Amino acid sequence: MHGDELTRSRVDAAAHAETPLLKLQAVGKRFPGVVALRDVSFEIARGAGHVLLGENGAGKSTLINMLGGALQPDDGAIWFDGAPYRPASPLEAFKAGIRVVHQELNLLSNLSVAENLLFEQLPSRHGMVNFREMNRRAAELLAEVGLDVAPTTEVSRLGVAQMQLVEIAKALCHESKLLVLDEPTATLTVREVDRLFEILHRLKAKGVTTLYISHRLEEIYAVGDHVTVLRDGQHVTTRSLSGLGIPDIVELMVGRTIADQGEFSADIPVGGEALGVTGLKLTGDSPEMSFSVGKGEIVGIAGLVGSGRTEVVRALFGADPKAAGRIRIVGQEVDIASPRDAVAHGLCLATEDRKGQGLLLEMSCAENTTITDLAKISWRGLLQRKTEHAASRRLVKELRVKTPSIHQAVRTFSGGNQQKIVIAKWLFRGPKVLIFDEPTRGIDVGAKAEIYELLRKLATDGKGILVVSSDLPELMAICHRILVFSKGRIAGEVPRAEFDQHRILSFAFQEYGRVRDR
Amino acid sequence: MTKSTHQTSGTGISRRQIVLAGAAGTITIMTGLRPTRAASKPKVGLVMKSLSNEFFKQMQAGADKYAAENKDKFDFKAVGMKDERDFAAQVDAVENFITQKYDIIVVAPADSKAMATPLAKAVKAGIVVVNIDVPLDAGAKKAAGIDLAFFGPDNQAGAKLAGDALAKALGAGGKVVILEGNPEADNAKQRKQGFMDSIAEGKLQLLDSKTAHWETEEANTLMTNFLTKYQDIQGVMAANDSMALGVVKALDATGKSGKIKVVGFDNIPPVQPLIKNGKMLATVEQFGAEMAVNGVKYGLRQLAGEKFSGWIKTDIKLIEANNV
Amino acid sequence: MSEIAEQARKQKSSALWENLLRISMREAGVTVALVLIVLFFCATAPYFATSGNFLKIFVQIAINTVLAAGMTFVILTGGIDLSVGSVLALCTVVGATITTDERLSAGTSITLAFLACLGTGALCGAINGWVCEKWKLPSFIVTLGMLNIASGLARVVSNNSTISGLPQPFVEFGNLIFWGIFPSIFVIALAVVLIGWFILRFTVFGRFIFAIGTNEEAVRLSGHNPRAIKIAAFTISGLTAGIAAMVYLLRLNVGSPIAGIGYELNAIAAVIIGGTSLSGGKGSIIGTLVGACILQVLSTGLQLLGAEDNVKPIVIGTVIVLAVILDTYRNKFLRAMESRKGVQ
Repeated sequence: MHGDELTRSRVDAAAHAETPLLKLQAVGKRFPGVVALRDVSFEIARGAGHVLLGENGAGKSTLINMLGGALQPDDGAIWFDGAPYRPASPLEAFKAGIRVVHQELNLLSNLSVAENLLFEQLPSRHGMVNFREMNRRAAELLAEVGLDVAPTTEVSRLGVAQMQLVEIAKALCHESKLLVLDEPTATLTVREVDRLFEILHRLKAKGVTTLYISHRLEEIYAVGDHVTVLRDGQHVTTRSLSGLGIPDIVELMVGRTIADQGEFSADIPVGGEALGVTGLKLTGDSPEMSFSVGKGEIVGIAGLVGSGRTEVVRALFGADPKAAGRIRIVGQEVDIASPRDAVAHGLCLATEDRKGQGLLLEMSCAENTTITDLAKISWRGLLQRKTEHAASRRLVKELRVKTPSIHQAVRTFSGGNQQKIVIAKWLFRGPKVLIFDEPTRGIDVGAKAEIYELLRKLATDGKGILVVSSDLPELMAICHRILVFSKGRIAGEVPRAEFDQHRILSFAFQEYGRVRDR
Repeated sequence: MTKSTHQTSGTGISRRQIVLAGAAGTITIMTGLRPTRAASKPKVGLVMKSLSNEFFKQMQAGADKYAAENKDKFDFKAVGMKDERDFAAQVDAVENFITQKYDIIVVAPADSKAMATPLAKAVKAGIVVVNIDVPLDAGAKKAAGIDLAFFGPDNQAGAKLAGDALAKALGAGGKVVILEGNPEADNAKQRKQGFMDSIAEGKLQLLDSKTAHWETEEANTLMTNFLTKYQDIQGVMAANDSMALGVVKALDATGKSGKIKVVGFDNIPPVQPLIKNGKMLATVEQFGAEMAVNGVKYGLRQLAGEKFSGWIKTDIKLIEANNV
Repeated sequence: MSEIAEQARKQKSSALWENLLRISMREAGVTVALVLIVLFFCATAPYFATSGNFLKIFVQIAINTVLAAGMTFVILTGGIDLSVGSVLALCTVVGATITTDERLSAGTSITLAFLACLGTGALCGAINGWVCEKWKLPSFIVTLGMLNIASGLARVVSNNSTISGLPQPFVEFGNLIFWGIFPSIFVIALAVVLIGWFILRFTVFGRFIFAIGTNEEAVRLSGHNPRAIKIAAFTISGLTAGIAAMVYLLRLNVGSPIAGIGYELNAIAAVIIGGTSLSGGKGSIIGTLVGACILQVLSTGLQLLGAEDNVKPIVIGTVIVLAVILDTYRNKFLRAMESRKGVQ
């Protein structure tokens, strides 16, 4: 089957060597009150690894949704494989040979991995699903993306990164001509990213063209040869990646030069203990762990997805139960059985899933910022809206949230602004220790720098900060210390002076029994 | 949960109405619009219980026929309810007739106590109120400050007629069960009392007495359970014919129909063949169609100045194989 | 601080307008619909445009309005309460049993009955909420259970009979009419709606109700206990069922174990027509009041038009579905308005 595909691709390539696979001409898209795309024209060559860049709101998602059949352009035209392309639905796009892997995962969480993978073409016999065949084919696909779960596992039991890999495996099972990947590595660890790149290279060898969107600029060189940059819904440039440095790309994206986001001011003084954890056990038989975070200190937690990073911070916060462990906050031993206890003692958590667990999306910016401490904006149970609005405005200004009004629903905010609201709501409560789980996931470059700035400022104010991130350079840029988790235990602790990717990674892989050289 | 009403025969909504309503509801409303402003003729409203009950369907049919024959004498409108237990809906209907300045309201109260207050309002608004089918509670009438005559059958005496017929067929010591109507309904209570009177007089032995809420299907289930529990049932007293139908089906299923004697109440059309072929012993006719017509007649007479008080009993008659 | 105050002043007027617009958009649609329906019947249905008719409509909507006001709280948190109808029945027989007790003076018995009605309702509601939260069960199932339990209890308490003979002062209060057109029970219903509106709009508790309906997990992870709030919402729904039972006693002067059959569905219909989202987080109690009015006006108007009895439920059912369809368009419109102003 693969051989046939290869042959066909070569014949195709010879036949239309000169025609591009995808061509956009003066494409425009308007939403009520917003011009999302304006006069965008560019081409993607056959077999190319094409990278699409732009800050959040630049129009990338709109463009991807058009290619995937979820939206139709208002102006202009698209040609795909030499023919006019105007899919009315995702199914038509899929039939035409374009497969989009969305950033927001589109899996059916109550079905098994295998059912999700082969949903569009369930193998059947006499009108009944042939489960054995389905699971066999699913197992092959899973092996191909290096995901080690049984095909019969229910998707809701998977972690976010595992779901991402299922999405990619799903794209593989249909022989697409153009594979669109929207931020596929946002939640993946280095090992998983490498695995993904291997897969992409293999697909490229088979003649599959990829359109790749990522916020991690350093990785685009590994997958792409050409780049298209969008800014404010308009096409900035399409050119070869060779000779183009990261600073050049950032310049194109934001239209201005920004300072190196990784600047670390070592002069943040570290005071006494802000958070102390002793003998924490998530379950009866999980390993004990102990660590502490000083006042004014930013401590990172690194580790592969599934190494227990999120589980540990959620247990600390009381969001999930723990089996044992003592927690001290500013020297005082506290009992945390629920998020309510944690917040009462000055410990707060900005969760990994901002939209699902952090924000009241349909409610206003003001209502979101004050939800953590309604006592502050009320008198005998009655809301004091003036106080609330003043407080919200102060935080919006302080954190430079871009919004025309504090009455705007946070659903309409960009990822970066939403994260700022999450930070704002915790600042409103006035915590002593802040835990951030993937604070910059899905946030554009400019907003990332601002978030880092905020974290540093919080540290300067004497708060203890714990940051969980899959982005190692990010942790190395902002942390005083990094704790490396491996299979649910702390495999190593690296002070800033000894920061080194290789060293941190070797700790992360320690419990998995193999260390790879990079 | 609300009991859905089971229809034993016929349909509640005519096919014409379904088609029209489905196609365009508004058109149906317009065609249903009846001029009610004729100045000289008195306006007569009939308020009944559930129209999915065969007895009230007969009642409405009789009243409609009579009204059609006397178009020149009075205007007529009949209202039923979705659920016969929802007497608040009946109260609404009475209030609506008051708003529309009706002259006569003929009512079969869904609840003997609850309907007293709203009917008193009608009386105070100068409307002639005629109480048929079920008498209003004497205490409630007194509390509401009204004195209304009751034009209707004696349910207790009627049930006793049926019960006596059964007692005669079985002889002293006969073992019987009773299927009651809705436990809170007045006529259900009266009918049960009538059955109990027959049992005492005829020296029957009562095995069990439970409600099947007037419903055929529930009666069928209940009877099946009775048959399992008591091997020696000889007679069944059902408080209405819908339940008697369910009983006969249960007996058919176990091959005991005809052997176990069944009596019912209401004389609805579907039981008549059963009485003819011996599957049922007897039922009681209370002349539903005439009852409403008589109610209207009495109302017109009252409007003309005549006075009635107390209980004007309407006919009841035992129906057996010889007089179906 | 003064700078903030300055800024606040500047933004205040625009924010106020924006808020007003947003709120009125929620309710404007249904209110306009209500006005149109009333005008239609005024023009076509005989006797509709009479004070007697409006008085009657006010009497008839009181019970459903009170029930629907409490239901709004539960639906806003994303739950549902199917038990209100039979809880009402239970409360009417409890209330009627007490008021007709001859050992008590009229004043004492009425006071006791009032407290017992509200207490019984609140207790049923609290049990609903507690069971839902304790075992994390869907409210649909739990309140369906309570529907049957309360109905059975009502039969036990009343011994299957209608209880009448309420004290005269009580009956007279029920017949009281203010300013010639507002019956006492309608005034009670309006008061319940106003209190509910105030709680939802101006209290911390109200804010939590909306927040939980929007994203319960986010509220929990913001350091709160959503369970207590949800139990309170069910308790309020039970409490209003108790108040509705008092209204029922005032209106019909009898307590009955078969009162309130199907009332839960009317209450839910009023809430939904009023623009409250069944998934929670969005809606208003004023909308609920308008929804209850629409239902009753349709019912009365159709009857006065002389429509067949069987046509009524068909029209009302159609209106419920239409209301929900219109709601999706309204939400689309609001979102479009927001994104036009908003950040991209």
